[in-house]
Amino acid sequence: MISLSASNSLNSSHAVHGLAVSVQNVGLTYTTSIDKRPTLKARLKSLGRGKKHTRVVNALSQVNLDVHYGTVLGVIGSNGAGKSSLMRVISGIVPPTEGRVEVHGSVSTLLALGVGFNPSMTGRANVYLGGLAAGMSRAEIDKQFDAIADFSELGEAIDAPMRTYSSGMYARLAFSVAATVQPDILIVDEALSTGDAHFKEKSLNRIKELRTADRALILVSHAMATIEDVCNEVAWLHKGKLMARGNPAEVIKQYREFTNAGKSAAANEDV
Amino acid sequence: MSAPVAIYEPFRAGLPPLGAYLRSLWTRRSFIAEFSRSELREQNYGSVFGQLWLVLNPLLLSGVYFLLIYIIGGQSDSTRYGHLTASLFLFYLISNSLTGGVKSITAGQRLILNTAFPRAMLPISALVIALFKFVPTLAVFFVMRTILGLDYSWQMFWAIPVILIALLMGLGMAILISCINVYFRDIASFLPYMTRSLLYLSPILYQASDLSDKLKSFEIANPIFYLLDAWSQVMVYAQAPDMFSLLHSFIWAIAIFIIGTYFFLSRERDFAVRL
Repeated sequence: MISLSASNSLNSSHAVHGLAVSVQNVGLTYTTSIDKRPTLKARLKSLGRGKKHTRVVNALSQVNLDVHYGTVLGVIGSNGAGKSSLMRVISGIVPPTEGRVEVHGSVSTLLALGVGFNPSMTGRANVYLGGLAAGMSRAEIDKQFDAIADFSELGEAIDAPMRTYSSGMYARLAFSVAATVQPDILIVDEALSTGDAHFKEKSLNRIKELRTADRALILVSHAMATIEDVCNEVAWLHKGKLMARGNPAEVIKQYREFTNAGKSAAANEDV
Repeated sequence: MSAPVAIYEPFRAGLPPLGAYLRSLWTRRSFIAEFSRSELREQNYGSVFGQLWLVLNPLLLSGVYFLLIYIIGGQSDSTRYGHLTASLFLFYLISNSLTGGVKSITAGQRLILNTAFPRAMLPISALVIALFKFVPTLAVFFVMRTILGLDYSWQMFWAIPVILIALLMGLGMAILISCINVYFRDIASFLPYMTRSLLYLSPILYQASDLSDKLKSFEIANPIFYLLDAWSQVMVYAQAPDMFSLLHSFIWAIAIFIIGTYFFLSRERDFAVRL
């Protein structure tokens, strides 16, 4: 979990249809605090009352998943199914409790939050900090920066503090970073649905451009139409278990039957 | 097929492989530099004096405290003023590492949830920022002690080990408190009271020799008491520090650093699910 591989494998080449990510018997159980903001005061106040402060979450169990280069894998499932947890395990942010994950390439992650870890700094500073934290060198970011700024269409706002950004601007910058750095493996977690119609379409097109034989994409989304449109494989997670995996149309059909959601407009609506 | 670039496996309680951890920390040193720079720039952004505040702030503070001890104690010789200023500047190195460190992990939430990197980078940056704030005050102090007419001697090179001990202590404290704050978020609210108590319990507004032996024996429990005493001996009196002070502060510094780092490293893989 220590090294994010962005820096050390930009030049590596891999066999077409070679293994990109191998998830082997992965289980994830973690303890988290019940309070949003755990405090010592709350702890002391409830001393001896037997109140619980933490709960154990069984996020994933016995998940096996191989992703090959050239694959665009859609991950679907209801809320709390473990989709985001699986993405965090694959990108090395949270180590698994069981099993093993092998990653053969550089990973760029666009998980729910994206860039912008310090809102009082400018968009530019945040892009640099995010890249440096991911293990890229300053020269690499310099090389990509203009393309990122262009794609985000933020214009001069790139040099304004990020606290002045709207949520759409946040999302645009985040997507631009993740999609511009040309990773071997791109993980996008429900980040396509923010932004206006124009940017949504632009990012979807960008995803389609990124579908090459030497790259693997993993998309997490609730928008079945997008998944069916973009992906060539779909994995369905339910309560931490892998329920089905394979042809997008088939898996989505199974998932719909399971949830009784039907092919309603609401499920298709958003990207 | 090429060997996997990264393997993620379960960890058992305890430390991650230290060699790999340090290597990956080292490759991200430019993050630490960039982060500290932009943080400092941002903190003084837009103010009339800009970066000048880095010097003005501690100077004004020492002026205010001098006023305080002058009114209470009625003493106003130049040695006293030199002692107060020098001690206050070093104290702020420690206190800035603490206040910068405490929220370094919780404020880095977005980054932690989105990117895999050695989390220790964040409290280390807090120490670097505190150091950047400390260096100009050191220059100010040397100008000041020349004006005050304090003696110079070769013994003042003892300042180097004292600063190194202070940095180790600041780093240990930043790492430890950033980790505690993940589990108890109100530590950040207690912190101003803790640093204030530390300020009064340490020989800053008074000198270590002013205390009675009985009180002094309690000060063994104050990690920075003898550190500041040694600092004053070196910087104000231009003497070698006594070995007890040096040893006392070194033992505290290394103990806090080891305990803090152990807690931090053995728990940092847990941070992402705790934020």
